[in-house]
Amino acid sequence: MTVALMIDRNASAGGAARAAVVVHDLHKSFGALEVLKGVSLQARQGDVVSILGSSGSGKSTMLRCLNLLEIPDSGAIAIGDEALRFAKNRAGRVALPDRRQVERLRRSTGMVFQSFNLWSHMTILENVIEAPIHVLKRPRAECIAEAEALLAKVGISDRRHHYPAHLSGGQQQRAAIARALAMQPKVLLFDEPTSSLDPELVGEVLRVMRALAEEGRTMLVVTHEMAFARDVSSHVVFLHQGKVDEEGAPAEVFGNPKSMRFRQFLSATR
Amino acid sequence: MEMAFLADVFMQLMRGVPLTLQLAGTSVALGLVMALILAITLQSGPPLVVWPIRGYVTAFRGTPLLVQIFLIYYGLGQFRPSLQALGLWGLFREPYWCAILALTLNTAAYGTEIIRGGLQSVPFGQIEAARACGMSRSLVYRRVILPIALRQALPSYGNEIILMIKGTSLTSIVTLLEITGIAQQIISQTYRAVEVFACAGAIYLTMNYIIAHLLAGLEHRLSAHLRAAPDFESSVAIEGGLH
Amino acid sequence: MFDLVGFGVGGWGAALLKAALTTFALSVAGFLSGAVLGALAAFARLSGDRFARGAAFAYSALFRGVPDLLTIYLLYFGGSVALTVVGGWFGARGFIGLPAFATGVVALAVISGAYQAEVYRGAFLAIHRGELDAARAYGMSGPTMLRRIVAPQVLRYAIPGLGNVWQLVLKDSALVSVIGLVELMREAQVGAGSTRQPFVFFCSAAALYLAIAIITGSLFRHVERRSLRGVRTA
Repeated sequence: MTVALMIDRNASAGGAARAAVVVHDLHKSFGALEVLKGVSLQARQGDVVSILGSSGSGKSTMLRCLNLLEIPDSGAIAIGDEALRFAKNRAGRVALPDRRQVERLRRSTGMVFQSFNLWSHMTILENVIEAPIHVLKRPRAECIAEAEALLAKVGISDRRHHYPAHLSGGQQQRAAIARALAMQPKVLLFDEPTSSLDPELVGEVLRVMRALAEEGRTMLVVTHEMAFARDVSSHVVFLHQGKVDEEGAPAEVFGNPKSMRFRQFLSATR
Repeated sequence: MEMAFLADVFMQLMRGVPLTLQLAGTSVALGLVMALILAITLQSGPPLVVWPIRGYVTAFRGTPLLVQIFLIYYGLGQFRPSLQALGLWGLFREPYWCAILALTLNTAAYGTEIIRGGLQSVPFGQIEAARACGMSRSLVYRRVILPIALRQALPSYGNEIILMIKGTSLTSIVTLLEITGIAQQIISQTYRAVEVFACAGAIYLTMNYIIAHLLAGLEHRLSAHLRAAPDFESSVAIEGGLH
Repeated sequence: MFDLVGFGVGGWGAALLKAALTTFALSVAGFLSGAVLGALAAFARLSGDRFARGAAFAYSALFRGVPDLLTIYLLYFGGSVALTVVGGWFGARGFIGLPAFATGVVALAVISGAYQAEVYRGAFLAIHRGELDAARAYGMSGPTMLRRIVAPQVLRYAIPGLGNVWQLVLKDSALVSVIGLVELMREAQVGAGSTRQPFVFFCSAAALYLAIAIITGSLFRHVERRSLRGVRTA
């Protein structure tokens, strides 16, 4: 009965002492459908990784495995100092990781969702200070001050006492980004952050994300925005049917795509 | 229908109001606590616990309150020796405690269904966002799930509170002297049934009106997030300006 | 313990079942009469006439705000007093009580009508305005529109709410026992008093009420499912 083991930090892939995220050979099935068939990737601190793929390629699933909103069937994940390994036991079931470890891992990642998922019964400011106060147990005054700075940074200070329902989609997503930043995460995970937005509102969110990238944040972004992937990422990963089909620096990958399927994907999304 | 008679009847009936409120208030409060526990357990408990709870909820929602009151007040009397042996007979002999028990079990069953509906209405994305921040299960319940679920359940629960106030009138049948009980007492002395019952009806109506009003106020306070923004015009202007 | 309610020689089973039938008949009659009252009240509430709207609102608020037990008492005693007075004009002497079954039906009709009015009103407001506009645009007259477009849709949207009101009527029928009608509740009381086994009888009565509730409940759900054919739900 293999349970989640701590991978010795130094034993992970050579030279990855500065690796912020390591994903190794992830497998995940939903019932009979195998969605991830052995995905591996790495991101160093400060990397901005764009994850591309058509629907069903498993890109969202892989991202959600990183903060354990989905539990992989097998493989290993390491974020900063937290490392987890997954395997099926003899009964064919995956042993669930220790609850505290899961919570620790989630504290070091910040996730921005496609449907924003702001808490509807709290104002924007309350949304941003909620987790720092109740999860990180930081003092309220400090959290409020920092929240106001973050909201100013994403450009929605004037809406901080409003409820999410009173904001446009773009404003809600920027608030969600501020909420994720408030946890001071090591890694930011973006799950198709602009897919639910009207075209005119996409730009304001991408601008904020670009600013974060320029600050040196480690970001993993599942997206359909090719321009963002090309201009802002340090690294592009293309998933096809649960496997990494092509990866590399944007210049190579977009300029000289090796994979046939990626070329098809690019022409289809042009 | 002399005014003096009516005024006198009114004063006498008002003496039943405290007991009515006490019966309703106690059973609603206890019932709410029970309902919260049962509803949360129904969401995430093991089948062994879920089935009995479902059975209880079905039984108490599917049978008349009067039958439940009679079952507890008269029916349990059939087991007097066993209850006496357990030292519980003193409790079950009293109509007041039997009434409280029956009313509580009844409102808890309805409350469980209402809160369960509220729990299911919480958008799953918001729960995921809370988990993604590293919140523990109890924290997610306390800060996200329950606040949203209870706000959603408030209108239905308010309705249930009013139904409970009306339900207390049934306890007059087991000798309790709340409003309806006192009304029956007066009628047995004066034989002026219509006036007395009409007076009693007016008192209940007023009580329920006041309570409904208070509940509407509470609902209003807790649903700011569902209404239009206070400064709609100015916010539109700002949006146009900055971008 | 429970062979008392069996169908043997000393068994009360037959009597209880017969009383359950009375309960069912009482509830059905009350519910259907209440449907008429409720529809009228909803119509009045939605009309342009201010007086009609006010009267309908008062009716609904009154019978939803006053305990059902009081409504039953008031109707029975009020009606009986009136009947006694009228009887006195014709030379009859003494108290004349209203017939219990009829009074029960009227009481349940008046009470459920108040709730059904709210259900019909809500169902009407749920109909897409556009469908009514289209009906008018095609030149449908008022009554035709009511018959072909409004009523079918109101019924469809009202079914869940009506299911709830039905369950309420079924349970309220037990209260009619206080005016002497021998329905299930009364029969159980008689049996309990006669045999000194109240638990047995009230449990059996509860089981019978539950059985009727479950059977009729699944009937309503079946009707609901059929009425939603062709409609996309969430």
